[in-house]
Amino acid sequence: MEPSAAILIVDDHDGFRAFARAMLEAAGFTVAEASTGAEATTAAAAVRPRLVLLDIQLPDSDGFEVARRLSAQADSPVVVLTSTREASDYGGRIASSPAAAFLPKDQLSGAALRRFLPQDPG
Amino acid sequence: MSHRTGTALAAGAVTAIAFKVVVTVVPRPAPDVVWVITSSAIGLSFLAAGIAAWRRWPATRLCWLFSIAGYLWLLPNVGYLPYALTFTFAGLIVNAYTAALAHLALAWPTGRLRSPFERWLVVVLYGWNIGLSLGTAFFAPGCRTGCPSSLLLIHPSAAINDAIDAWSVPGSVLLTATVLAVVVRHWQQARGWSRHVLTPLVWIATAVVALSVVQTLNMNLTLPFSQFAIDDVAPLILILGPAMFVISTVLARTARGAVGAAIVDLEPGSSPGRLRDALALAVGDSTLQLAFRQPDGGFVDTTGQRLNPASPGRGRATTPLAGPDEAVLIHDETLAHEPQLVRLTASAASLALEHSRLQAEVQAQLEQVRASRARIVEAGDSERRRLERDLHDGAQQRLVTLSLALAMARDLAAKAEPGLGALIESASKEAREALTELRELARGIHPAVLTQAGLAGAIQALAERSPVPTTIAEVPRQRFPAAIEATAYFVVSEALANVAKHSQASSALVAVRTPPGRLVVTVSDDGAGGAAPGDGSGLRGLGDRVAAAGGVLCISSPPGSGTRLEADIPCP
Repeated sequence: MEPSAAILIVDDHDGFRAFARAMLEAAGFTVAEASTGAEATTAAAAVRPRLVLLDIQLPDSDGFEVARRLSAQADSPVVVLTSTREASDYGGRIASSPAAAFLPKDQLSGAALRRFLPQDPG
Repeated sequence: MSHRTGTALAAGAVTAIAFKVVVTVVPRPAPDVVWVITSSAIGLSFLAAGIAAWRRWPATRLCWLFSIAGYLWLLPNVGYLPYALTFTFAGLIVNAYTAALAHLALAWPTGRLRSPFERWLVVVLYGWNIGLSLGTAFFAPGCRTGCPSSLLLIHPSAAINDAIDAWSVPGSVLLTATVLAVVVRHWQQARGWSRHVLTPLVWIATAVVALSVVQTLNMNLTLPFSQFAIDDVAPLILILGPAMFVISTVLARTARGAVGAAIVDLEPGSSPGRLRDALALAVGDSTLQLAFRQPDGGFVDTTGQRLNPASPGRGRATTPLAGPDEAVLIHDETLAHEPQLVRLTASAASLALEHSRLQAEVQAQLEQVRASRARIVEAGDSERRRLERDLHDGAQQRLVTLSLALAMARDLAAKAEPGLGALIESASKEAREALTELRELARGIHPAVLTQAGLAGAIQALAERSPVPTTIAEVPRQRFPAAIEATAYFVVSEALANVAKHSQASSALVAVRTPPGRLVVTVSDDGAGGAAPGDGSGLRGLGDRVAAAGGVLCISSPPGSGTRLEADIPCP
């Protein structure tokens, strides 16, 4: 894990992580990866990313629980939940979670993420 | 008793009628008309009761006892004939009918005397009556109407005759009281059917004894009754005996009808205890028991008491029932005198038990079908969840990855080859649309929101997607079993789909309430109404779905007044 990484991608789907990483690095972000909720917590503490792109459906826990754990950390990162499903498929759970936003996976782009980091675009 | 018995009884009755005609027509002066009618009615009623007893209780001697009482009542009429021999004979047996009546009462209802004491008592009664008549024959000074003299007359003496009458009173009273006491004791000791048929006898015996006492006292004392009333009218009370028997025969027929009615009136699936109670009431035997063979070979009645049908106890009899239950009826042994009633009761009990057994089987099969239907629906739901998850984890993920790849390729190509960039953008758009369609498909297969957010979140999502403005009145936030949540969700989903397609409504209202043990889902709209449960496969399927969960779907849709759909689902 790169100490200077700005974005942590948490997703158990290798193909998505690979393309997301390429897309975000091409957009100028430094990217780190985790494939489970447990790895995400550890990586976030080690890497201290500015933003965590967090898949809701993880093999060991769901994204809402991981978002709560990440938000409880000191100097917590911006958490953006993501999924192949739409926000409405999760009822009010997204709104009641500590995540800053929800971004459908197919709408991922560097520009989309940058909107959630207004203080520091880089 | 054979058919010959019946023929003999009938011939005896015909002969008695002819006899009565002769003893009425021949004497001069003719006997008093009222007395002729009264005595004929009494005598013939006993003979008729004898024939009825032969038909109803052929295994008893009651037919003979009734007939003997009738003959002994009529035979003294021979004394009206103008012959000394017949007059003397009539004088000897003039009161013998009272012994026959006592014999009948003591032997009721089987026709058999129960103990040596009672046999001696009957002998004494016949002897006492004939003995007193002998005394009258020896010493009575004769009558004032010119009747013949007794051939047995020894010394006509009014004083001796009066003395015999006076001294006979204590003995007659003692014997009469003894008979009444024995009859009452029989009644006290009787149970079930015996008591049932003895009860009217006690009242009749009391009335007859009262008549006897009045007649006896009237011979010796001056009572405020006219001679006509006491001697010619009051004896009509004796008809009570035969009348009671005829009435009880009718009641026995009614009892047979009551057994059938009791079975018909039994509620489906009634317990064996209820069956026993109904049969006991119908046959008039409160001691009736219904017992079933247990796996250990013993028998247990409907109250759980063990018993042995082979030795049911004193005064009890066992009747086995047909059918696979190996059940028995244990009843008052005297009920055996009503063989048709016993047979009918046994058949009715067998039928009712068989009915209960079949109903229990059908109920069990129905429960199996219900459980199986619920399992099929749950299995379907489970499979839908798996399919939705597979689509999410597989095809949707790949389409997402493809979209990202195409977006990257488009950005790269746009710089070098704008035409290629546009082509890739077009492909990317197709991929996004495919992803959107796949999401809808997956949502139709199973709503992920239901798994993710429960009923409240899922209904909220449905309301938000509904093209008709939909208000959620109330939905509990708690989670319910998956099958119940799925059923409630599909009710709301199908109802809102119908509102959008058919109702022309401007608004819809959804409410989910949780009264104790139930989940009630209501969807109503302000549309055109006129929907019927049989309209389309959607509502029918929904009804099946709710029924599979053990619930009920009701639709109220009067034309012009909107539609209200309510699903009432059991919820633990």
